[in-house]
Formats: sequence, structure tokens, C-alpha cells
Amino acid sequence: MINNEIIKVKNLNINFNKHIAIDNLSISFNKGETVLITGRNGSGKTTFLKCLGGVLFPDSGLIQFGNKVSKKKIGIISDKMSLLEDYTLEQGIAFHSEIFGINKFNFSLINQLNLKYERKIKTLSAGERAIYHLSLIISQKPELLLIDEIIHMIDAYIRELFLEALIELINDVNTTIIMVNHTFSETGRIPERILIMEQGRFILDEKRENLNKKIKKIITNKEIEEDIPVLFKKESSIQKEFYIYPFKEEFNSKYKYDFQDISLTEIIKSFIGGCYAKERV
Amino acid sequence: MIKFNINEASPVPLYQQVKQAILLDIVSEKLNEGDQLPSIRALAKILKLNPNTVAKVYYTLEEEGFIEGKRGSGYRVKVLKSRIDKLKISIIEAELKDFLEKASCLGLKKKDINELIGRLLNDK
Repeated sequence: MINNEIIKVKNLNINFNKHIAIDNLSISFNKGETVLITGRNGSGKTTFLKCLGGVLFPDSGLIQFGNKVSKKKIGIISDKMSLLEDYTLEQGIAFHSEIFGINKFNFSLINQLNLKYERKIKTLSAGERAIYHLSLIISQKPELLLIDEIIHMIDAYIRELFLEALIELINDVNTTIIMVNHTFSETGRIPERILIMEQGRFILDEKRENLNKKIKKIITNKEIEEDIPVLFKKESSIQKEFYIYPFKEEFNSKYKYDFQDISLTEIIKSFIGGCYAKERV
Repeated sequence: MIKFNINEASPVPLYQQVKQAILLDIVSEKLNEGDQLPSIRALAKILKLNPNTVAKVYYTLEEEGFIEGKRGSGYRVKVLKSRIDKLKISIIEAELKDFLEKASCLGLKKKDINELIGRLLNDK
């Protein structure tokens, strides 16, 4: 493993009955990276995350962790994950601290929400639960944090607390964060690397700041040349929109089109739209 | 405090938007020699940005000589008069290029543009 790598995944395969969930996937993540994994429903995002977190065992393949990463330094947050429901918050904290060897518990998030420590975990709302769960994990000072579709389901105030806590973690512990989310406008400013998944593989893996150089849009009312790679085409009665990927600098001199820059929101929409369009063909 | 207008929907990368906001304040002399910039952590939290993105902005600004970082005391503005004059010109030049492009799209001739600018300058 290269020094800076925290996880290396090699030829990972997972099947559910006859359905291929993860298809011979290889990828690696670096220390301190913040990654957003997105893609349409059923593309394999959550399955992949569960595998990284050790919740799901793959059919074949290898997941290798950096040599100093102990299991106690991996955190996973998911809305489907059960905590010790009948415990009070206080009991949950005591239990978690003992298991993970936490000397100094970080109460700041729980206190900011004014949660009562004698409440039972099962009485928490989705947002309170996310913050409680994050408090447990932050206190572990994790090297790796996996977040499965949490951020879009919590309210705006709690989301802000949540994001600020992640920023502190990146700053203080240089935690690698891998999050799965459908709507990324809420997480939009944190991820530096964007992955789009489709049928158990990654169809896009790009640094966020490079994305606008790789994908462009043409709006026209005619068809375009066949050698321009079209990722997704959207047609209406007044115009045709072509999303171009991978875009090459030479297109600018070769063709007369106005190749427009597009936002991250639109980029991801066009990739996912492209997946649905391919299926229809 | 620097005014940040960060727009996620813009295709301009976030670090460039942050960098430009700081540069604009330096050029327009809202930030002066020796002024303290917010810490990486504080700015990241305010803007909900990845601290690495903020760090990258500060490193590039430092490399380009607009700010200076000292261990333990954060980043301060360093004003180089000649650089700033150049920057002022380049900002306006970019805007003017846009303007000229639009003018030529609308079919305006050199003479029309000259007249227009002359008139606007006189009005002022």
C-alpha cells in the first residue's frame, strides 16, 4: 500500500441471489479525503459502504486498511443502524466509551441540542439520533467515517451542527470521510472527490475542482456531430441539450458550439439521467 | 469581515470563488497591509467548506504573495502596490472583454463603442 492510502479495495464482488450488487470494483482512498458517493437507487452505494464498514462480508475481493487503522477508529453512521434502543443516552455513552476505550467523551453536540441524558435512545427523532450517534463516533476520533444517507433527512439546524462537527473532525483528526447521499446540495461544500456509482461500478471518479473541465453542455436545435461523446441528451420542443463527457480542450477549435460550464448539481443529474436513458435503449 | 458570496450552483470551483472574494477585498483596499485573515478552521465552519479547500486558497494566495502565514499567528494581508495595480487592470480587462464580445454580438462598430465609452466617461 502507498503510504497515504487509508483503504485499498481490490476486485470486490457482491451478489444478492443472482443480482450483481458490486461488480469487480477496485478503488483506493487517501488519508484525509472527503468523498461523496452518489448514484441512482439500487446502484450499490450502500452495499459498498457497508462492506467498507465491515457490516457486510463480500463474496470475493480484498479490502485493505492502512497499517495504523484499528477497527476502533472506523465509524459508520446510518439511519438504519440500530443502537441500544432501551438504553438511556447516558448508558449508551458509558457502554460505547468502554468498548472503544474513550477517555474523554465529546458532549458538545448533545448539549447544543439540549438532549436530556435520561431519555431512552428509542425516543430520539431522526435528527437527534444522528447527532447522538455522531457524538459517539466523534469521541472515538475516527480515522475513517462512513456516513450513509443521513444528511438529507435531518433538519436545517441539526444539519448545520452536523456539518460543523465534520469540519472540526477533518481539521483536528484529518479523518477520511466517505458519504453516500442523494441530494448533495446540503453536503455540497465539503466533499472534494465525487464518485458516481452505477450497477456496482464507479462511472465517475473525479476531483470536484476538475469536474467543470471534463463535462460541458451544448444547447442547440439540431443534432450534433457523432464524434462528440454525449453522456446524456435531453430534448424538448424548443431545444436539445447535450451533456458532453469526457470533454477535450480541442473540441473548442474543432467545433463551433458554445460549450457551457455546468454546476455540480447538473453534472450529477446528467450522469444519473444517462444511466436511466441507457436502460431504456 | 470579508464578504463571501459563495454559490454552489456556479460552475466556478469553490476555492476559486473564495480566493476571488479575498482578492477583491485586497484590491479594493477593504483589507489592508497586516490585516488578519480568519483562521482556516473558523472560515471553514462559517462557509461550511472543507478545511482543505480553505487551506488551498491560503496556500495559493501566499505563493502569489498576497498574504503571509506565520506559525501560530495565522495569515495576514501583505500588500504589494505594483501587484495590486496590475490586478486591478486585469479584473477590469476581463470585464471589458465580456462587454466587447456582447457589443460585437449586437453588431456595434468600433466607432459606436468609442462614442459610448466617451459619453459615459463624460457623464461621470
